[in-house]
Formats: sequence, C-alpha cells, structure tokens
Amino acid sequence: MIKIHNACKRYSGVNVLDNVSIQVKKSGILGLAGPSGSGKSTLLRCLQKLETLDDGSLECNGKTGFMFQDFQLFPHMTALENIVYAPNLSDRSAKRRRNNEKRAREMLKNLGIESKMYEYPESLSGGQKQRVALARSLMVNPDILLCDEPTSGLDVATTMDVVSLLKSVGETGVAMIIASHDLDFLTKISDRIILLREGKIVVDIKTEEHKNPVIYLKKYYVDD
Amino acid sequence: MISNCYYIGKGLVFTLQLMFGGIAIGVILGTLLSILRYGRVLGMLANGWVSLIRGTPLILQLSIVYFMAPSIIGVRLDMLSAGVISFGLNSSAYVAEILRSGVESLPKGQFEAARTLGIPDFYMWKDIILPQVIRNIWPAMVNEIIALLKETTLISIIGGMDIMRRSQIIAAEQFEYFMPLCIAGAYYYCLVLFIEFIGRKVERRMSHDKNS
Ligand SMILES: Nc1ncnc2c1ncn2[C@@H]1O[C@H](COP(=O)(O)OP(=O)(O)O)[C@@H](O)[C@H]1O
Ligand SMILES: [Mg+2]
Repeated sequence: MIKIHNACKRYSGVNVLDNVSIQVKKSGILGLAGPSGSGKSTLLRCLQKLETLDDGSLECNGKTGFMFQDFQLFPHMTALENIVYAPNLSDRSAKRRRNNEKRAREMLKNLGIESKMYEYPESLSGGQKQRVALARSLMVNPDILLCDEPTSGLDVATTMDVVSLLKSVGETGVAMIIASHDLDFLTKISDRIILLREGKIVVDIKTEEHKNPVIYLKKYYVDD
Repeated sequence: MISNCYYIGKGLVFTLQLMFGGIAIGVILGTLLSILRYGRVLGMLANGWVSLIRGTPLILQLSIVYFMAPSIIGVRLDMLSAGVISFGLNSSAYVAEILRSGVESLPKGQFEAARTLGIPDFYMWKDIILPQVIRNIWPAMVNEIIALLKETTLISIIGGMDIMRRSQIIAAEQFEYFMPLCIAGAYYYCLVLFIEFIGRKVERRMSHDKNS
C-alpha cells in the first residue's frame, strides 16, 4: 500500500527526514511517534504530496485524506458546507448532491455533532472542529487517512472519544497513519508504532507484541 | 448662502463620477495586477508598475494623462476621462497591494486544505480564498475609496469643476473664503460619513454571514 524507500528531506541543510524507509502492506493504524521536531509532520506532508522529497522514493497506492493539526476548516462555511463542498464540486447533479448531503448529515450524526451542522467553525469547540475535519476528509473516500496530532489541544475525555472515533474509522477498512507525540494515545490506537528521532526511525514495533509499549518507547525520548 | 450651496453642490455629480469611475478601474486593474504578479515576466512588469505608481505624485500622473494624451494617443481627453483614467491607474497600484497583503495574510493551510480535498485551483480561489480575502481587506478597501474621494480634488489643477474647484471660484468672486470652503468641507465630510456607513453595513453583513 505504502512504500517509502530511503526518504530524505532537508530544510536549509538540516536533515529533517534521514533515510526513512517504511512499508505498509495492509490497512490498519500506524502510529508515528517522536518528540516535537522529529519530522512526523514532514513525513505526513510528503505522503500527501504537500512537500517533495529531496532524495529517495515514495509510493502510495490509494487516495489519501489529510487531517491538519489545526484542522484548517474553511471559516466562511458552515460545518455542513465544509463537508460537502469538495464532493459537490465533482458531483454536479442535484441528485448526487442530495446524496452527499445525506451522507454528511449521517456522518455528523454519528459523530454526535448533528446539532452543529449549521454553525460556523469559530463557534465550535476544538473537539467539534476536529469531528468536522474528520468528516470532511472522509467524504472524499480516502483509502489512507493521514492525521497530524489529532489530540493536540484536546482534554482527556475528548481524547478518549477521538481514540474510539478513529478506531471505528479504521474498522471500516481505511488505513491510517497518525502522528502524535502522545505515547499513551498512540499505544491505545495503533497496531504498529514507528518512533522517529531527528528524522531517523529508531523503533518500529507491533503494539500487541509488547506488554507495555509506552514504557518501552519512552526510553527513546530521553537523551542518552 | 443657499445659492452658494447649490452652485458648489452641482460639482457633486462630477466628484462622484470621478470617484466611482476611479475605484472601478482601480479594482479591475488592481485585481488583474495581483494575478499577473504570480507570473514571472509579467510579474516583474506588474511589480514595476506598482512601484512606479506608488513612487510618483498623483498630480504628476494626472498631468501626464491630461496634457500629454494628445501627443501620445492623438486625442485630447475630456477632464472626466482624464480624471477617471489617472485616478483609476493610481488606485490600481494600491488595490493590488491591499489584495496582496490580504492573500498573504491567509494561513498557508487554507491553500493546502483545498489541495488535499482535490479542489481545482479556479474553485479554490473563487470559493475558498477570495471570500476570505475580501472579508479581510474590506476595511482597507473602504479606506482606499475614502482616500480616492479626497484625491479627486486634484482634478481642479486641470480645471475640472468639482466641489472643491467650485468653492474656490465662489471664494474668488466674493472675496470670502471661509463660507464656501466650509460648504465644500461639509460636502466631502458627508460623503465620507456615508461611505463609512455603507462600509460598516457591508462589513456587518459579511460577518453576519458567518454567525447566522
Ligand atoms: N517549511 C519548513 N521550513 C523550514 N524548516 C522546517 C519546515 N517545516 C519543518 N521544518 C523543520 O523540520 C523539523 C521537523 O519538523 P516537523 O516535521 O514539523 O516535526 P514534528 O511534526 O515531528 O514536530 C523541525 O526542526 C522544523 O523546524
Ligand atoms: Mg508536527
């Protein structure tokens, strides 16, 4: 599904990604861990083709969806408009547009924010914005969903909601790559965790094979 | 007094024609300029134009358009056309600058979000970027319109009979400066207040859009 081979990315001479190789064969949730500045966002952005690699290759079979850390909802559109705008561009017929809207409403209902449908982003809480962003990226039917720090700025309870939310998305067969510095969160959600440090992969584990992945991974956060 | 008001007020139409004509050309040309700025060769030309316009006095630009048009394009422009053209050309540079800062002040993520959703460039600009830019630059645009209104008084140097010029004529005829100038001032001030009023109304409309 995804084949990254010796990926390198430099910003002003500094290797932000340093010979990163990752293969993802089947769907599932892959967690990208690592301290802030380790290159997680850059890797996701390269996968989404928002950045180009300086070296190495990257192959991504399937449509990607992207959730930004700061959501980047369109502030002049309601929650519902945010969600249906892109699919409606390609679906010109009234019937298909009605279908899109129906799907969007259902999605918002499942996410528990049906009542916020006609609200503008500025009047939504962080957790609600996130749900809208999730719905928006799912509306284009991605095979792979890329999430950058989906729990940043959320309280504990909302984080738990995000865990079950993303898990249920994963169960529908959408592959996911989730970048986060929060090991507890990643461990709860991922099948596999890759830990980056200064652009290099330092750990690549299957979560189920470890009794306590958090403790195992934490060692790699502290400096030698 | 009443007849003075009336005489000066007859310049209102001319002043408004200059202002609306100027801002119309300014917005159209300014938008075109800010699009051209994304090109390489055309972008350099557009930047040069903006720099030249901003770097020279409006009174000089007006004089060039009015007095030199016959030798450049072979026709003598009437005062209204000369005024609308030079105020429009002048305003285009400022509108282009306002638009540029408006686009630059949007988060890069808005462009990226549109790209990740597969929204084509045209629709991205039309439905995502420009509505936000227009809302953000609206106050600056209202300022530009007010500035342009006040700059239309320069038309008097080529003999245009606007509010300002008419008040000067009365002053010269009646050897009385205070009254006619006050009348002219009142006309301009009322126009500015009216523009501000409309501007605020539109502004509220635009922010109401996102609240209702
Ligand atoms: N556009 C950019 N220009 C310059 N440096 C950048 C840019 N984007 C990221 N970086 C740098 O790359 C490094 C990795 O950033 P990032 O991928 O955002 O890390 P993470 O998401 O793991 O916190 C950081 O040191 C950051 O300063
Ligand atoms: Mg990051």
